[in-house]
Amino acid sequence: MTHSYRVLIAVLLIGLALDGRSQIKPLYNYQDLSHIIYQRQKDSLKKAWVCPAAYKNKETQKKYKEIWDSRTEFITQAIADDDYVQDQDIFPYIDGIITQLMQANKQQIPVKPFLLLDRSASINAYAVGGNVIAVNLGLISFCQSREELALAIAHEMSHNILNHAENAARQRAELLTSDEYKRSLESVLDSKYGRLTRLQKILENYSFNRSKHQRYHESDADSLAILLLKKSNIAFNAAFFLRLDSVDVLYRQPLSHPLNTYFTAYHLPFEDTWTQRRSKGLSTRNYNFRDTSSIADSLKTHPDCEERYARTRSFTVAGARMTPIPANIKTKTNKMMLWGMYQNQTLTPCLYRVLLEKDKGNTDEWYDFMVNNIFSGLFYADRELHRFNAVGVIQKEYISKNYNELQNMLEQMPRESLEQYCKTLQNGSFWKDMSPAERALKNLLYTLTFDPDASDKNRAKAAKEFTSNNAASMYCEFADIFAKK
Amino acid sequence: MKRSLLLTALSFSLLVAVHAQSKVFKEVSEGISSQVKSIWQDNTMVGYLVFTELEKASADSFNYKITIMDENLNDIGTVKFRELKLNLYNVAFEQDVLCLAYLKSNFLDYDFGRRDAKTALSNAKSWIFTQFLNLDGKIIATNATPVDIKYSIGASYTSKRSGYGKLKTSVLLKNIPQKGFACFYGDDSRNNLLIFNAAGRQTWQKTVQEDASDFYMLTSQQDVWVLAKRKEKLVEAGYELFGFNTKDSTAAPKYILKDKKGNPLRVITFDNDPATGKPFMAGNIINAGKGNGLLTPNQRARGPYDGVFTIDFTGRKKSEIKENYIYWNDGSQPGISKRGRWDSIRAYCRFEQAFRDYEGNTFFSGSAMLRRPRWGAIGLEIVTAPTIILPAMIAMTAGSTKAQLADGLVVRMGGKGGLTINHNFKLNPTIWAAARAPFINWDNRNYYHLNSSENKTNYLIVDDSRNFTIYNVNQQKIMRTIPHMDGNVRTSILPAKEGHIMVSEYNYKEKYTRVSIESL
Repeated sequence: MTHSYRVLIAVLLIGLALDGRSQIKPLYNYQDLSHIIYQRQKDSLKKAWVCPAAYKNKETQKKYKEIWDSRTEFITQAIADDDYVQDQDIFPYIDGIITQLMQANKQQIPVKPFLLLDRSASINAYAVGGNVIAVNLGLISFCQSREELALAIAHEMSHNILNHAENAARQRAELLTSDEYKRSLESVLDSKYGRLTRLQKILENYSFNRSKHQRYHESDADSLAILLLKKSNIAFNAAFFLRLDSVDVLYRQPLSHPLNTYFTAYHLPFEDTWTQRRSKGLSTRNYNFRDTSSIADSLKTHPDCEERYARTRSFTVAGARMTPIPANIKTKTNKMMLWGMYQNQTLTPCLYRVLLEKDKGNTDEWYDFMVNNIFSGLFYADRELHRFNAVGVIQKEYISKNYNELQNMLEQMPRESLEQYCKTLQNGSFWKDMSPAERALKNLLYTLTFDPDASDKNRAKAAKEFTSNNAASMYCEFADIFAKK
Repeated sequence: MKRSLLLTALSFSLLVAVHAQSKVFKEVSEGISSQVKSIWQDNTMVGYLVFTELEKASADSFNYKITIMDENLNDIGTVKFRELKLNLYNVAFEQDVLCLAYLKSNFLDYDFGRRDAKTALSNAKSWIFTQFLNLDGKIIATNATPVDIKYSIGASYTSKRSGYGKLKTSVLLKNIPQKGFACFYGDDSRNNLLIFNAAGRQTWQKTVQEDASDFYMLTSQQDVWVLAKRKEKLVEAGYELFGFNTKDSTAAPKYILKDKKGNPLRVITFDNDPATGKPFMAGNIINAGKGNGLLTPNQRARGPYDGVFTIDFTGRKKSEIKENYIYWNDGSQPGISKRGRWDSIRAYCRFEQAFRDYEGNTFFSGSAMLRRPRWGAIGLEIVTAPTIILPAMIAMTAGSTKAQLADGLVVRMGGKGGLTINHNFKLNPTIWAAARAPFINWDNRNYYHLNSSENKTNYLIVDDSRNFTIYNVNQQKIMRTIPHMDGNVRTSILPAKEGHIMVSEYNYKEKYTRVSIESL
């Protein structure tokens, strides 16, 4: 009894130690960001991606080269901008799916694709040709199972197998240099009236043709993806396409509790009046203009999700058990995504996602750390006259009531209250479990928000101090903004 | 999202790269022009509107696009239509209807060939064109009132000739709460007030027979007030007020702005009292003899004003007009000299703004003007006195007095008729200029007043050459000091929704403009 009791205590202690360690372990290192880790690949990509001589016609070849080079420029710039990261957990997990697909389909995929883990929160993956595919953190967060993720990856790999990007570039080059296209453009200038309308028609027609082709490509990629999955023994479920229809509902999802409860939990004062839009502006009116933001169905590049579901549902593997994405991958994905959003200063969606995590009963102090960062970031933005942009007000019809309340609060709470929030959060009890780098970031944020010396020089000094003392920290990316000023 | 935007931009840049295409895009885009207007209701900005002339649709008509944005600059809808040449003046909002007031013409701003120009001139016509849009994006009504304009053909070195002409008084447009809209304009034969209901139907029209140089319009509940400024010998004098009731379609007798002694009045503000919603006016009582002494500190020190006044218009009858005059030129104001010098601060006060708070108090604000002897110059004049010419030259150039604009002042007009300095706030002092030098050469301060009905707070914004200073009158505190230039960034401040300012930052180095709507 005593022995088993000791074992239990030992297990608990190990568990606690591991738990503590997991909080200290960084999500990734600064050196895992793409501008460092892919520096060599970036340079070799520029050299390797040489536009092939595909046309005798000089103009068409020139246009083709322009399109080709723009793709290279796009990827290399994204690498330089740290749009990608290669961490120690998520990247190998995705890479594992790619390896499985490749090994089972060696004929179609003789060379392993070059994987990029995109830090974007948008639910997407993309193939750019040249055997490169990118998977967004937003997609990993959205997928419920490894099989769903594998379907998305197989779909993008299929684009590369079928040379869709390269073919699309050729088609564009041919069309843009075709006599017919040039004639139609020149006819615009010949016309006395309605020039813009005529030009728009030509471009719409061109977009329609391009989208039509792309939609065929999407269907082909879906079909090939199903085959790749089948050979890899990965179950396919067409219902994923239906789920894709709900990608934009995250911010329409209500919170489980009234908004004030999330803040009073930190002993932060809260006033309901902050959440009510006080403006007399048009945003508060019931306008109902015809939606001009959506594009005509004929111009969409992807077929409707329902159409994709209907076309592929017969291939669904009945009764297949789906493999959940490991919890640590999900957790890490969410955290990395949140940090990426914070780094881009999109504070309201960032905070809303934190509150949604709280709704799931998540008590990880890292989210408290993020709440502090968000309010400090907002206070800093207010000081710099950018608060409105940091809040990023979204129209009420695209968001939940709670999201609207939150954005109203962030926009309208008085500066003094915002200052009080920052001070209270900087003294929060959660800091005791934070890593030294996170505590150092707190000090940097303090300098940015409260130091009477608001000069760039003082901020750069504090940022450089942070980077020199925490050279491996992922938060160096944030400090870099100020260090480079 | 970021990626898709980038890709879209990328594909567009590819499109314009082709020579033939770039030529087409360039020429087509040259034909597109836009005007950005703010949308107002009850003196509050409620949104923004971009009016774009897209292209010439026929020999005389154009395709237009209106993009409506809410007060947070989010697009909420677009409307397209075809019309003759339009020039948008103002946009107002009432009962979920937008009213846009244009000048429409078949001649103005058109380009003609030499041969066609004379025919076009003989057929030239223009109208005040009001367009009413509901929040479903439908044009629910339009009205066109012919106007009398003196037309001419603009000279040009090219073969093109353009139609020229203008209204005598610009088109003013205001909403009338719970009623509709008031539109005022002046052409070559009359000044005209048009009243529309919210459905866009013209319900009343009134001609204002007044030969004034400027007009200002205020709507207050069911009343429309037109303040006219005639050109007079005293440059700040010549104000007259016309009142109209839109409920019973009656006009009140003309009210000439003079005090009981016959001194003319300088109107600094004419607005609705935030506490009562009724109009009030505030300004200076002009000294009939020295009233034009405004150009230099020396002239100002001679006392161009005799005091200040407020007038409350609780109705349009004479008995409903309450006048309140405070004179300092009679020595009745303790601490203020007969020429308007405040003993406590040893300074004159140049009032730039007047406003009411939410408790009915009237405030005047402006800069404290210090005027001091120039001891060095005086000494030099004495020393060089025997030469006769030198002291005269010193007196003509440097002068014996100097002046500076120092703190911002907020002066409260008490209920019993007293004036007290409520508080002063630090501003960058101007240079010490020769007191005989015109203000225009060295005074670059501008004062603006804003209020927030939600917080019941009044703000002053002072723009000098270096900073914008935002001052909270109620808390007696400077809220922000925003430099005009910060490194490569030039900051401008524009009006925005209530309690906010629009901050526009132009980065010279990276050549972009960032706009943000920030709380005061």
